[in-house]
Amino acid sequence: MTNYFALLGLPEALSLDPEVVETSWREKSRALADSSSGSEAPLDHPDLNQARSTLADPALRLAHWLALRAPDSPADRSIDPSLMDLFSAISPVLEKTDKLLASHRRATTALTRAMLTHEAIDVQLQIQELLQRIQPLRSSLTGQFDDLEKAGGEDDFQPATRALGQLKFLKRWEEQCRERLLSLIAC
Amino acid sequence: MNEELIIGIDLGTTNSLVGVVDSGFPLVLADREGGRLTPSCVSWATSGEPLVGKEAFRSRMISPERTVSSIKRFIGRTFSDLTAQEREDAGFPLVAGRYDEILVAIDPETLATPEEISALILARLKKIAEEALEMPVSRAVITVPAYFNNTQREATKRAAGLAGLTVERIINEPTAAALAYGLDKLEESATVAVYDLGGGTFDLSILQMRDGFFEVISTAGDTRLGGDDLDRVIARHFAATLALGELSPGEEATLLARAREVKEALSIEDSVTARFPFFRGSASFELELSRPALEKLLTPVIERTRPIARRAFAEAASKGVAEVERLILVGGSTRIPLVREKLQEWFGLVPDISQHPDESIALGAAIQAGMLCGRVRQIILVDVTPLSLGIETFGGLMNVIIPRNSTIPVKAGELFTNAVDHQESMAIRVLQGERELAKDNWLLGEVTVPFTPGPKGSARVGVQFAIGLDGILEVLARDTVTGEDHVLEIRNAAIDVDDEAVERMVSESIDCAFDDMNERIWTEAKLKSEELLPAVGEALALVGHLVPADDLAGIEAATARVRSALESESHDSTALKSANAALDEATQTLAAILVEAAFSGLDS
Repeated sequence: MTNYFALLGLPEALSLDPEVVETSWREKSRALADSSSGSEAPLDHPDLNQARSTLADPALRLAHWLALRAPDSPADRSIDPSLMDLFSAISPVLEKTDKLLASHRRATTALTRAMLTHEAIDVQLQIQELLQRIQPLRSSLTGQFDDLEKAGGEDDFQPATRALGQLKFLKRWEEQCRERLLSLIAC
Repeated sequence: MNEELIIGIDLGTTNSLVGVVDSGFPLVLADREGGRLTPSCVSWATSGEPLVGKEAFRSRMISPERTVSSIKRFIGRTFSDLTAQEREDAGFPLVAGRYDEILVAIDPETLATPEEISALILARLKKIAEEALEMPVSRAVITVPAYFNNTQREATKRAAGLAGLTVERIINEPTAAALAYGLDKLEESATVAVYDLGGGTFDLSILQMRDGFFEVISTAGDTRLGGDDLDRVIARHFAATLALGELSPGEEATLLARAREVKEALSIEDSVTARFPFFRGSASFELELSRPALEKLLTPVIERTRPIARRAFAEAASKGVAEVERLILVGGSTRIPLVREKLQEWFGLVPDISQHPDESIALGAAIQAGMLCGRVRQIILVDVTPLSLGIETFGGLMNVIIPRNSTIPVKAGELFTNAVDHQESMAIRVLQGERELAKDNWLLGEVTVPFTPGPKGSARVGVQFAIGLDGILEVLARDTVTGEDHVLEIRNAAIDVDDEAVERMVSESIDCAFDDMNERIWTEAKLKSEELLPAVGEALALVGHLVPADDLAGIEAATARVRSALESESHDSTALKSANAALDEATQTLAAILVEAAFSGLDS
């Protein structure tokens, strides 16, 4: 497996400044472009792009770090009690949104679409509220990164695995919420 | 040097152009008559070789059913994907081929795929370049709408191959326009949005330009929205106002041509008169149209770009790019003053009209070509894939493997294993799109992952999905034993049938292409009536008291017209469609009042 930290010349640290990742990606891309000459050697570097998108995202970064340090640690798929409330709040809103979007897709006239506006605004607000609940939960997990690294230094990867499980849930929910929000915006 | 030369091509819906970089500057090449725009038209009006470009464009009035325009709307799509409306709007007969591909049926002996027709246009551009440069040309960069999917990109590439051109790179149209815009501003840092409304497609891309990096942050679009749609709205208005009833193909072509002229003239004048001399037999018509009246017609179409643009803006914001400093307009349709006014109103930015609406994409293609052959340096272009890529999982869901707006090139791996003992292979359906259900997305095709026979769960094949700089997918399987990658073919998932059956199908569908259409259009129109009528009742119950009396009377009259058209025994689809359109238009104010009421509920 490619070590993305090494590829971008960065320390194998869980807490990374996104700006540092960005700067390093630019430098490496520029160097690659300068060394390639025209169409003979096209600027084709999926690994660099992959490294950038992985390291810029806390959940993906943690997953990559774990895969490098403890490739055999089993995944933790349980939902922490602290996320349970959010979990039970998200599904009904997503379901409601999907129904609304389906009606919107069926609507072919300005009038039938306008009939849905009221509800669309309503669910948009609900989704935004959910997104606001996700933020602090994620921050509290990324706030543990230094501790996770320390534990990892002592060969204890269980806390990191646990945090990754939670971060993955949050990431997925956030993506689902954002996707619905974008679809609603495009209504 | 000659061998090295790469041309840049803008293969447009309405017009196409070819350019090249000379002494560091991009320029558009002219044909022998000095014309830089080649109409994207092919005609079989005369016997022998088809006419291409200007000659074809001129023949569209004389022989509308043998003249093909806006073929870009059909490239890389399947026949079953087309709505009856799209088939009707095409203006030339379309039939299904054996793999559900679209065939343009000029006559039973002259069938051509959208790729073949595009190839004729590309071959003309190649010739223009060769004559202007006085040297043979075989390599090209071709632009496509940013929102083109994998299949549409591949079809474009194949069309170029048919025209004798090797495609060195496919690039996205708004990205090309950004290159043209930014070439002389490499020292500046800016975040720009490119609003590209062409003849048939709309894209909005948001880019960051910094230190010679041109990076696309987000992109959104509609590959079936452009100037063609504006022309059609105007032509329908002509037909309705002049009460022309059913139109012959020739009459329709004339109306569309006048519509386009009126649209273009009203970008400059305040009022114009459309004349239709000897339109039907000896009958001549004329009709005056003012700019406000035109704008009222165009507004609903232009409004369709708004949510798409908002989506791209919102997506850029979620990636941390909240402030867009400039809004660059390209594409012929952005000449319309209403478009510029609306954009300013929506986004609070004075549109930047420094770019040539017709030429900047070709110039950008030429710059990219120049970059590839070393004639332009300093620039690094970083683009994204417009649509999410995924595979179908059990239960018919789409599992996203590469999310949309990922920086390309990009690759992502998935591990597959055998679900039963001694399974030899597994078929994976590859999809593109944003919908949760697999069936709602584009099916790109199927790949077969081979397994080494063994007990359940023993086989392990890593499959890599890679999207290259052209935005085109390649699927590779890694043999875990040898560690070697090999390319898996993405096969069309349609069922193969024998040649004879195909011939029969094709000839039958040509014969009944038009009969079949009337019933289909009737069904589509009926659905629309059934959607609108109850909505009118509900909406009036909610906000009827807020609607001006004039509008109410108009709605009532239009409703009655739809009802009577629905009840007609003859299934007159033209009458029902125009009644629907009238009701749709009559309820615009009502719709706006509803939307406003919904938003004002927020404040209370």
